[in-house]
Amino acid sequence: MHDIPQLLISTVLLGGIYALIAVGLTLIFGIMRVVNFAHGEFLMLGMYLAFWAFTLIAMDPYLVLLPAIPLFFLAGLATYALVMRGVIHASHNVQIFTTVGLSLALQNVALVLWTGDFRFIRPWYYSTVVRLGDTAFNVSQIAAFAVAMAFTAALFAFMRWSYTGRVMRATAQDREAASLMGIDADRVYAFTWAIGIVCVGIAGVLLAPLYPVYPTAGLQFVLLAYVVVVLGGLGDMVGALLGSLIVAAVEVVGSYVFGTAWKEVLYFLLFIAILLIRPAGLFGQRGAESLGV
Amino acid sequence: MRRHGAALVIFGAAALAPLVVRNAFLLDSLILILLWGTLSAAWNVAGGYAGQVSLGHAAFFGIGAYSAALLGTRWDLSPWIALVVGALLSTAASLVIGYLSNRLRGPYFVLATIAFSQVLLIVASRWRGFTQGSEGIPVPFRPGFWTLGFADKTTWVYLALGVALLLYLIQRYLEGSRIGYQLAAVREDEDAAQALGVASRRLKVVAIAGSAALTSVCGTFWAQYVGFVDPFYVFSLDLSVRFALAAIIGGIGTAVGPFFGSVLITTLETYLRATFGGIGAGLVGIYLIIYGCLLIIVVRVIPQGLAGFVGGLSRRP
Repeated sequence: MHDIPQLLISTVLLGGIYALIAVGLTLIFGIMRVVNFAHGEFLMLGMYLAFWAFTLIAMDPYLVLLPAIPLFFLAGLATYALVMRGVIHASHNVQIFTTVGLSLALQNVALVLWTGDFRFIRPWYYSTVVRLGDTAFNVSQIAAFAVAMAFTAALFAFMRWSYTGRVMRATAQDREAASLMGIDADRVYAFTWAIGIVCVGIAGVLLAPLYPVYPTAGLQFVLLAYVVVVLGGLGDMVGALLGSLIVAAVEVVGSYVFGTAWKEVLYFLLFIAILLIRPAGLFGQRGAESLGV
Repeated sequence: MRRHGAALVIFGAAALAPLVVRNAFLLDSLILILLWGTLSAAWNVAGGYAGQVSLGHAAFFGIGAYSAALLGTRWDLSPWIALVVGALLSTAASLVIGYLSNRLRGPYFVLATIAFSQVLLIVASRWRGFTQGSEGIPVPFRPGFWTLGFADKTTWVYLALGVALLLYLIQRYLEGSRIGYQLAAVREDEDAAQALGVASRRLKVVAIAGSAALTSVCGTFWAQYVGFVDPFYVFSLDLSVRFALAAIIGGIGTAVGPFFGSVLITTLETYLRATFGGIGAGLVGIYLIIYGCLLIIVVRVIPQGLAGFVGGLSRRP
């Protein structure tokens, strides 16, 4: 019984980081109606950015966050202009294969440039552990959680209260009506895509000190993010936050009860079960899944 | 004969090659071209003709490969029995995906197929007692037809060619038969097809089951040919993407497209592997960069694929 506080804190810390990955994915889906299958590759690029900044100029991963934001914003705008703009009105399958193609290209650019070796970042606080009562946790984990939560909160506030956020939501609700009100839908999509990419890129930078960096590192996290996002209802940002906590809880409790080897099975089974029982997600709109929206 | 032109060129060249080529490397490339083409064709049955795009077909490939490895090592059974067992297991497993295809559309269905193959990957790589976990299993080599062990590549070329032809003919059948037209109707507009009395739900399940069984058969052959089954390869998302990639670039929903796509992709891959293998192994990834970009361009600019594009050019007066 004395393990419960530790499990609880681990869940929340893990959930916070998953949330930042999932929020970007769900934002892009909610507004553009595109599932980004290349999401994990931008996470991987974030990890490599942190790795190279640390290795080449000894820059602390948390300082890398500052240049990472504009860099990923630009990368987002560039991939939107080059790849996504042409398929925004295309069928689901065309969009799916476009992002799969982007994923394949980015993954292998990383492989060709930086080989498939596992790389690690070891800052001085790498093994610093904070103890609080019965619980213990890594300081990088807390930092990652804090930054991820700050970002997610900022994004929520931005979407809720800023003018641009309202414009984005209006476009998501009714593209035609928004266009008639003088909203440039193309600019909204470019901006949405770029913001989503910034979220996941930042998440990559934050995860770099915690996990090995390699060209397909994004896959395991993005698979998780898909589970989170479907659980919360595709396009639902609050749902993504709650979904992150649920998946993190399944992972933490699952590894505690069944051992770490089997934890992934649990959340994939949870995922398939959700798709079978309530495919629109716990908080999503009923019927969305059979329309594919 | 004209409508089989491209296929005649590919299969004819493959049939004649072993008569003149003795180079083991070239024959190996040929076998892989045929095998990957056949796998893409099997994917095409569900993804192209029925329009049920799956990124989890590695699941069935893995089931076929593991059937060969496990039945061969644990119970000393023939790969031909493994082939049937694998196909039956894959058909059973495909019912899950088939059921989901009737509840989910678009990205939801794709995500479900990915999750499905990931579950099998985890089970295969963690169930150490039965599958030897992440170490993988060597497939025993026992010479003879009944044990599917052929030392010379020529036999493999003709075996792969036979399976490839079978898949080509199945796809051709789907283009001109009643069931094929019904599948096309379901793919283009499921609600309209249903209104006209097409049993769309059952059709999709049948198409996916057939596609899964054929993928599994190829998985068994592949395991026998390569001689080693690694869970992280046979169940990987990369492999599922690869099946789809060759079909889409070659021409989705066309009979020759998957083989055409495989000729392009596998040739470049084996060339880069031979050139940069060993020390610059990372450079082999170049072919996937090219194919990632090509995929983006093809789905937008020539959705009928390269085979359809070339065919369209040649038909012009």
